[in-house]
Amino acid sequence: MALLRLRAALLGPARLRGTGIPWSVLRNYSSASAKEKERRSAICERTELLEVLKARVKQLQASNIPEVMVNKVELAPLVNDKYQDPLWKGGAPSPAEEQPAPRERGESPAQPSGWVEKLKKEVCTRQLKVESKLAIAASQLAVEGQAKAKTKAKAKAKGKTKAKAKANKSVKKPKAKVDAASIWGPTGSRSVCAHRKPRVAAVKEGAKAQRPWRAPEEKESNHRKILQQTVQSSLECFLFLQQPEEAETFLLMYHNSRSKRRLLNVDAYNIVMRSWARKGCLQRVHQLFSMLVSAGLQPSLDSYAAALECMGRSQVPAKAIQRCVKQLKNDGFVVDELFQKCLFEEDEKEKVLRAIRIVQPKYQLPPPPRPKICKSSLLRAFYSRTTMPYPKLDFSVQELQERFQQQLEMELDNTVTIESVESTKPLTPQAIKARELLATLRSQWHDSILRALQKSKHNMSKLPMASGYNILYPYLCLLPDEEYVAIMMQVLNTLSPQGESLAVLARDLGSKVYNRYVTQRKLRSRQLEKVQEVYKGYIGLLARDSRPHEYLPREYWEKLVVEAGFGPSLNLKDCSWPYVILMRLGMHLLELLVQAVRVPRNILNPRLEPRLIPVLYHIYSFRSTWQVGLIKPHPIFSQLVSNAAETTLTFNSSVIPMLCPPVPWTSPHFGAFVLNDTKLMRFVDGAVQHQLLLEQCPPVNLHPVLDALNQLGNCAWKINQPVLDIIISIFNDKGNEKLDIPPPVSEAPRPPAAPGNSATGNKSHKQELLLCKKKAAEMHSLRMDALYKLSIANYVRDKVFWFPHNMDFRGRTYPCPPYFNHLGNDVTRAILLFAEGRPLGPKGLDWLKIHLINLTGLKKKNALRERLEYANEIMEEILDSADRPLTGRKWWMNTDEPWQALACCMEIAKASRSPDPAAYVSHFPVHQDGSCNGLQHYAALGRDLIGAVSVNLMPCGVPQDVYSAVAQQVEEFRKKDAEQGVKVAQVLQGFISRKVVKQTVMTVVYGVTRYGGRLQMEKRLKEIEFPEEYLWEASHYLVKQVFNGIKEMFSATRDIQNWLTESAKLIAQSGQTVEWVTPLGLPIVQPYYRSKPTVLNCSMQTLTVKTFNGNQKPDTVKQKNAFPPNFIHSLDSTHMMLTALHCLRQGLTFVSVHDCYWTHALTVDVMNQICRQQFVALHSEKILQDLSKFMVEKYCSPDREMRALWQSKLMEQLSNVPKTGTFNLKRVMNSTYFFS
Amino acid sequence: MLAGRAPPGAAGCCRRLLAAALAAGLRPLLCGLPPCWQAARRAAGQWPSPGLRVPGAAEAERLVQQTQRVQRAGTSLRRFIACPQLARTVQRCLQSGAGPGPQPVLLECAPGPGILTRTLLNAGVRVVALENNSAFLPNLQSLENSLDGQLKVIYGDFFRLDPLVTGTVKPPAMCSDKLFETIGVEAVPWSADVPVRVFGIIPQKKERIILWRLLFALYECNSIYKYGRAELNIFVSEKEYKVLTAKPGDAKAYQAISILWQVGCEIQLLHMEPWSSFLTNLKNRGLSVPKSMRLPNDHLCLVRLTPRQNLFAGGLKPTNSSTFIFMVKQCLGKPTSRVTDRLNSWSLDSDGKLLRELEIPKNAATRNLYPEDYRRLFEALQNSNMFTETWFHDEVLDSIRNINL
Repeated sequence: MALLRLRAALLGPARLRGTGIPWSVLRNYSSASAKEKERRSAICERTELLEVLKARVKQLQASNIPEVMVNKVELAPLVNDKYQDPLWKGGAPSPAEEQPAPRERGESPAQPSGWVEKLKKEVCTRQLKVESKLAIAASQLAVEGQAKAKTKAKAKAKGKTKAKAKANKSVKKPKAKVDAASIWGPTGSRSVCAHRKPRVAAVKEGAKAQRPWRAPEEKESNHRKILQQTVQSSLECFLFLQQPEEAETFLLMYHNSRSKRRLLNVDAYNIVMRSWARKGCLQRVHQLFSMLVSAGLQPSLDSYAAALECMGRSQVPAKAIQRCVKQLKNDGFVVDELFQKCLFEEDEKEKVLRAIRIVQPKYQLPPPPRPKICKSSLLRAFYSRTTMPYPKLDFSVQELQERFQQQLEMELDNTVTIESVESTKPLTPQAIKARELLATLRSQWHDSILRALQKSKHNMSKLPMASGYNILYPYLCLLPDEEYVAIMMQVLNTLSPQGESLAVLARDLGSKVYNRYVTQRKLRSRQLEKVQEVYKGYIGLLARDSRPHEYLPREYWEKLVVEAGFGPSLNLKDCSWPYVILMRLGMHLLELLVQAVRVPRNILNPRLEPRLIPVLYHIYSFRSTWQVGLIKPHPIFSQLVSNAAETTLTFNSSVIPMLCPPVPWTSPHFGAFVLNDTKLMRFVDGAVQHQLLLEQCPPVNLHPVLDALNQLGNCAWKINQPVLDIIISIFNDKGNEKLDIPPPVSEAPRPPAAPGNSATGNKSHKQELLLCKKKAAEMHSLRMDALYKLSIANYVRDKVFWFPHNMDFRGRTYPCPPYFNHLGNDVTRAILLFAEGRPLGPKGLDWLKIHLINLTGLKKKNALRERLEYANEIMEEILDSADRPLTGRKWWMNTDEPWQALACCMEIAKASRSPDPAAYVSHFPVHQDGSCNGLQHYAALGRDLIGAVSVNLMPCGVPQDVYSAVAQQVEEFRKKDAEQGVKVAQVLQGFISRKVVKQTVMTVVYGVTRYGGRLQMEKRLKEIEFPEEYLWEASHYLVKQVFNGIKEMFSATRDIQNWLTESAKLIAQSGQTVEWVTPLGLPIVQPYYRSKPTVLNCSMQTLTVKTFNGNQKPDTVKQKNAFPPNFIHSLDSTHMMLTALHCLRQGLTFVSVHDCYWTHALTVDVMNQICRQQFVALHSEKILQDLSKFMVEKYCSPDREMRALWQSKLMEQLSNVPKTGTFNLKRVMNSTYFFS
Repeated sequence: MLAGRAPPGAAGCCRRLLAAALAAGLRPLLCGLPPCWQAARRAAGQWPSPGLRVPGAAEAERLVQQTQRVQRAGTSLRRFIACPQLARTVQRCLQSGAGPGPQPVLLECAPGPGILTRTLLNAGVRVVALENNSAFLPNLQSLENSLDGQLKVIYGDFFRLDPLVTGTVKPPAMCSDKLFETIGVEAVPWSADVPVRVFGIIPQKKERIILWRLLFALYECNSIYKYGRAELNIFVSEKEYKVLTAKPGDAKAYQAISILWQVGCEIQLLHMEPWSSFLTNLKNRGLSVPKSMRLPNDHLCLVRLTPRQNLFAGGLKPTNSSTFIFMVKQCLGKPTSRVTDRLNSWSLDSDGKLLRELEIPKNAATRNLYPEDYRRLFEALQNSNMFTETWFHDEVLDSIRNINL
């Protein structure tokens, strides 16, 4: 009977492998050859194993009959329940025989597939015929016999084909399983019928995932997955609402329909079980168990957790619990696993524990797993324990605790209302009047929105679930009505006069509701309490008046969690909503808003007749052949808002920098803000691949990345107040476009008066009018952006604050707060300072001066010493700028980055005037920039000698400039061609310069094509007034020569680029997406798919939504073109993270803006050294070989079935790693201008 | 309607003429007719037949392929009339329905090898050939020189008239002012007769865009319509023809563009011809027929679009017509929405009063209204000064950017 079980166990690990990456392989690149050996021995082992298994199967069959019969006799009197529960009450008999309701009997299984289905049918028909229990036992036997005959052959065949593909580990595991199976084997017959199918189906799915190019099934499953998610998130809503009856009705709606039932998986049943368990209704949970089984699914660990929780709540005899535990073990689980893997909420854990202790009074919680340590060769030193303690912040425990409380309160409020920097302006009477008017209107709108919401909810609630039931209803019940209204009102307050696209607004509304819901869940599930408690302990790592610890923030946090005994329960159960639901919900709210909000038409012009008109209107904007829906505010409303000149801004709390050190990232689900939901990896709306990949990845592989993000997030900041004050004064005056302070819209060019008296004027007048409007719209958005940034800066001007970080899918890191952060423009960077101060030290002042010259953009080609000399020469100008920024000679205004230059001038002035500059405590960040960082990585990858020199990998007296070098090379080509009489080459004489080639060279790294390159060239040539008749030919010629030049200088670079492109092309053509793993272990997948849009039919407008799914066909062009730049970005992010981590060990303050690294003036030299060391270390790894190995493993699995022509082609391409040059990487260590 | 399919023998008979044509070097053969008779006909806009030899299809194909070779890669797809029989059919269609008076000049767009040009000239039509490919020009120009003013050849592209970019206009793009000055056509009032007739085959790729641009020119009396009610005789794809002439309620075809063309012009189908009858400039000699899922698309349709004389007789004026266009486009943005809802959401109609007056049912969907209904609706709104008081005015201005696609 357990035959299928065995087979499934055998294939188990392979199945796991199918969907993801063989992590055992990935973890350590160097172990590959050892693995090869093991694999060979594994094949021998495998054949032996098969023999053992066969024998075991026979044994099981022999021992089966008596056991079953005995059980029956024994338990018969106990079965008096109406449902004849098959589980711990009923004991062993096959569950299919004792289904709770007869209607389920005749139904065909969920996954119709070949012989399994046939078997199942046989079981059913037999069951219908035979009534007596004895007969049932007999029939069971018969079925079993058949099953054996068929499975044996199959299992054998499959086992063999898989054997090769399997890594060493996967062989050991099934063995363990077999042992387990032999223990429960004889008694475990009850679930055989049910188990047969899912296991087989699972195996099949695994195989499917390995063969993604078999399209037809997947197309369907794509749609199915979305529906599945939708069902689950709806059930979650009911769970949250504590409405188990509704949840069950909803579930039954799917369960009872043959076609819909396949949308349900174990998790769906589990959710309903949990909602009953919370109420302590054991009978219902039992019923669901049998439903689960009748649907052909196998209970998971969570199912048992729910059952036990329920038993822990209600008074049940110990015997029942015992049976449940036994069943759990029969299904191959261990009790300890409950506490290690299940994500408990509220008091679930205590209840489960109580139930367990009833049967095992001495049961102790399992010891926490030993923390694993990352074994990456790049970080061996970093993770070794003999390091200095974690640096302290300049705060006491008390202070940090207070700050945490502030932050928590802010996030609990969800929104923050702050004064804008414009509030210093005097108020006009007109504004006061308008504000009053607006206030009354708002309260009216609030009421009407509330009414509209309640009405629509009422209408929805009346519909029975089965007929025309609105799927959105539970989502509209999650929060108090007031909160929905508040969210909708927020839209009104932030809508720009130009309007906003419908889709953007809908998504915004939907995700706001979702975020509120997640917060509520965190509160409800007591997750927040736990976080609070752990954070309290966590402060001990950071506060100055606490004991020093050698832990990293993540490690310390994990340790505290373990000590508090929270286990994994700090993570919420995954509760994300499908994108489609998010959009639907948003659209519904938006429709309510558009309908409900009205304003009297005569509010600004009393002459008009009083009539209510909509404040928001919906129109289409036409762009070539497609149309976009827009929501625009009525001009009356915009006028009113602008009259009121309100000076408060309301933001989501996640927009404000954190007021306490961020919660460290410990998993892809947990970190950054205290309450606000933050993704570890940013991705396009609706994309799910990245999250899936991160979840599949063993946690230890993510440790380096998480630690790097924590390190970046733990940098404390403060505001440079004098600079901020100057900026605000200019902002509130009239702005200054040259200094990048956007002027107010009132400064926008006025449209000329209409000529004559024609109503609309002539064409050119219209054109001008349009231009003015466009300009005004641009100015408005620039102004608002600056207003947000400055207001937030002003809000935190006296505080110390933190930017929690996350990353994009290539590992590039970003601060989470979107408006105000150090990644911003010159203005925002100029107002940021490190909160921590360090003395300048002997060379600090010089670094400040060099930094200033770097910011001016002058002296780029000069050595550092010359830059310093120049700074000393113009010291007078610097001091003048610092002392009289707006009234003096304004030297700083004519630099590349004026505001940062100004801030630097001030710092230099202060430092140089202090009695001992070396002791002057500076908070000023000094930057070091990579010179053409992308090409640096390429040159290092390919060991290109000439290339390496031109991007400063080689020590040199003065900085090299790759653009000039390429220009020179191109000029040489041109001369040659000109001599040979090529007309274009002759015409181009005197036109080739650094400026012409710069953009193209820069973008070559990021995969610019000839086409794009030519357009760039054309633009540049036009700028320098090149004769127009030759423009096309000349740009064509130039781009060709630039490519040739780069090829000449970076010979290996082009090869590598081509290799990457070609590999990605072949992979994408085979129907797979390009995936790789960075040297730090971060898994990456390119999210470019030929997405099939889903059309949402909403009453206002149909909306086309792009949905993503792992099973979609990749977009070959994008996959191909984006791979080289993405790969390089994943390398530069790795370099940054390595530098960040090693800086941490040296006690440096470090932050980065991609390839620009910041630290204190004192530590610039140390950082520079680390940066170079890590670059050398990174490129000393066999990056390309490892990539090739990984991809061969992933895309060319040696499965005979899949051998095809394209596969051998792909194999050849992937294993053919380009050759490298002769550059000695170690030279980077001494290169001054590598980063400068 | 004429026969839709070219006889298969057409190409064969042409081939026989090939040798002779090559010998003659395509030189036009002038026919000797008494000059006084010529002058009389000329005054009536009808020229005597110059008796030109019309080259056959094979020769035309060779010519097209030849020019293609000279051109650098990337010239866009073009279709030509290569078969003399098709040319004669088109010529008869063009001359059908002509009144007895003097005939306006015929502007032939992109004649290419000149098969139709010669056929038209032989039929006594005064032709202005507007060729956008300089490779075809020498041949056409030598033809022009051999005639006594019956043909005028201009280097230019009809479908790139009056480009929107500012700055100098580079040929083959050109300004309509210049074109009309060259061909000597004066502007006439809207109510007057057709000042000029145009024949052309719309380039497939930009078909929709060109139709929209012509529409805007028509409603604003710009470009060619500045000179009066220019009559277009154009080959459009069958699916586009179906759209242009779609009736209300036809979910597949009835769109804003249908309404606007039907209000603006009289649309007359002159002839349908299978795609295969046309010669393309593709190297592989493919036909490159655009795909169509919902509408039939087996033919190119010769459609005559004559602007309505009474277009601007009512409340609709060239000055406010962009509002009309905007309104129609907005209404048809979601064709299943109700007209009342639309008007209300724009606060254009107080309590359905307007619709009641126009006897439009309350629950009518926007796609159920006839083009004429939209016109009446607009005129009623215009009369009640609804537009000027609301944001609609601003919005129209905004959409101009989008209008000029």
